[in-house]
Amino acid sequence: MSEPLITTPLRERAQQALGDRFLHEALDIATTKFIGLRREAFGEFPDGERLRDRARDIKEATLQRLDEHLERLIDNVERRGGHVHFAATADEARDIILDIARRTGARMAVKSKSMATEEIHLNEALAAAGVMPVETDLGEYIIQLAHERPSHIIAPAIHKTKGQVAELFARELKREVAADPEVLTRIARAELREKFLEADLGITGANFAVADTGTVVLVTNEGNGRMVTSLPRVHVAVMGVEKVVPSMTDLMVFLSVLAKSATGQKLSVYTTLIQGPRRPQELEGPDEFHLVLLDNGRIAQIAGTLREALYCLRCGACLNVCPVYRQIGGHAYGYTYPGPIGILLTAMLNGPRSVKELSHASSLCGACADACPVRIDIPRMLIELRKEVDETKLAPWPERVVFKAFAWLIRQPPLYRLGGPLGRLLQRPFVRAGRIGTLPLFFGHWTRTRDLPPVAARTFQERWAALEREQP
Amino acid sequence: MTTRAAFLGRIRDEMAKTRGLFPATTAERPARPRERLEVLRRELIERWPQSLERFRAEFERVGGVFHRARPGDVPALLARICRERDARSVVTWDAAELGIDAGPVLASAGVDVHAMPRAVPSAPERQRLREVIAHADVGVTGVDLAIAETGTLVMRSAAGRPRSTSLLPPCHVALFERGALVETLAQVGIALEAWHDGAAADTEGAVINFITGPSRTADIELTLTRGVHGPKEVHAIFVDHD
Repeated sequence: MSEPLITTPLRERAQQALGDRFLHEALDIATTKFIGLRREAFGEFPDGERLRDRARDIKEATLQRLDEHLERLIDNVERRGGHVHFAATADEARDIILDIARRTGARMAVKSKSMATEEIHLNEALAAAGVMPVETDLGEYIIQLAHERPSHIIAPAIHKTKGQVAELFARELKREVAADPEVLTRIARAELREKFLEADLGITGANFAVADTGTVVLVTNEGNGRMVTSLPRVHVAVMGVEKVVPSMTDLMVFLSVLAKSATGQKLSVYTTLIQGPRRPQELEGPDEFHLVLLDNGRIAQIAGTLREALYCLRCGACLNVCPVYRQIGGHAYGYTYPGPIGILLTAMLNGPRSVKELSHASSLCGACADACPVRIDIPRMLIELRKEVDETKLAPWPERVVFKAFAWLIRQPPLYRLGGPLGRLLQRPFVRAGRIGTLPLFFGHWTRTRDLPPVAARTFQERWAALEREQP
Repeated sequence: MTTRAAFLGRIRDEMAKTRGLFPATTAERPARPRERLEVLRRELIERWPQSLERFRAEFERVGGVFHRARPGDVPALLARICRERDARSVVTWDAAELGIDAGPVLASAGVDVHAMPRAVPSAPERQRLREVIAHADVGVTGVDLAIAETGTLVMRSAAGRPRSTSLLPPCHVALFERGALVETLAQVGIALEAWHDGAAADTEGAVINFITGPSRTADIELTLTRGVHGPKEVHAIFVDHD
């Protein structure tokens, strides 16, 4: 377990986020825009729904023969002159990369946006070992300057205003900087261009890896992924084992749905297929290519409750549509991966105990499953997680007692039927405008953040009985 | 450190525990990809005008600039693009890879032209050429595939086709012919399968790039900005042999 200990409870983190007016506005604008762009992209793509089904099917089929596909991937990467490493844990992954950095005498590492390297907290480890890590995706560069973590999988700095970005740049460059996205982007281009040309080590994740050909695939819009894999003399790609796809034909199915789901583009600007180090006759490219295959909790889920979460493409579509994410943003989740899929990935990486509170940070409305390009049934797995959390007695005891009592009650039909009239009597002092807004004693914890629907004037069972009397 | 055997062993142990999985299949690869690609090419050549029109529309939608020129007019068009941008230095793929030698026309227009050699370069020469590309104002490349559905240019790196010609200069100009046009991403899959079919694949370059318009970001307040790391401008010249 490599995640930092979260000291403030989720309730407080959420409360804080809800109080941040700018964050709220930024989240609302960003997620609404992404939702619209995604809908448009699929709207003019009649084959979209069928391809989502295909993509899902391919992910499942790949998992069913994961060992064979990985064997083929490893053999093909090695055949093309690359090196493959195996990391069971985040610690091991960091050690492998630090070892490569030491052996090659690297002083500076340029990175293209990668959730896998966020997950293993690579930057801190590199810095501690004397290798300067430089994030080169503009959003990641901004949050690195701010010493923060990404708040969205594909738009890591959506919580920052242009004014805040200008302040960060001014502090870094020790000069005045205009709060204009065009100007700020130009400055980042110039600053980072020097770093690309100077760095010894290029570090990336992998959106996919093609087993048949030993190809690592990177999808970016800015072109930093291409820089990082072309200019430094060593390239290290870190990927979760679930990212392998069998063939180029399969790859094209995923490329058809990935960008549409993420940003509403038909394709991202750059899709880069990398097959090992520079060929002898070529002018450019790294002398060494390393692929780090990462487990870190994934393999245990092949037969676990979170198996389907291994389909995830990291597109971020489920974040944009989630009513909880849209209110509290990514940081309040407290871990590397935010949003509905983030809760599942957090449980995968850190065990179910880590999502004791987070597993409830969902209304189970199902919008995430609808938006997912591979139709991952996120709500089903959240319910499974809640069950695990309960089974291991992580829920507060009054809640457990109340639900135990309720579970017993609904299995006693005569008593349960009494509940209707009894409930109507007991709730009388608390019903205001058809809602129960406040309850006394510890029941008040329930109504502090939500209303309790009152028992109906006539319950379904009472109405059903009446209907049966009318029509024998 | 975890070994390959131990790592894959753990995966097999977990796979053995799975129960009641749904039947699922991967995408069907063409059995003989090269023959399949030849058949596809013959089909596509019949419909190239429609493909070109679709490509133009999609390419412009992602912010690309489309041109159409006869082979003899291409050098003058390149010279005009350079002049309009005050370009001093142009880097191009090897003339044989481009199919066109624009060197003399560009040189007479006062532009330094650097054609990238096909010969295997020495380490110091590689360093020098990298500097040349990094300081060029315009990069001129060929194209292996032009995808109509998405407005995408696909190019393979190789000797005489350095990958950063389309990346480091602020303006990228790509030349393509009707034979490069494909309609869909699925058709690109057939080409990729064919390129990787057989031993010849290993002698190719190490990178295949898909380029869909100029480099862009929306990371600051979702404001679309072009040219963050890669080119700010991408031009596609359709070389018309009719």
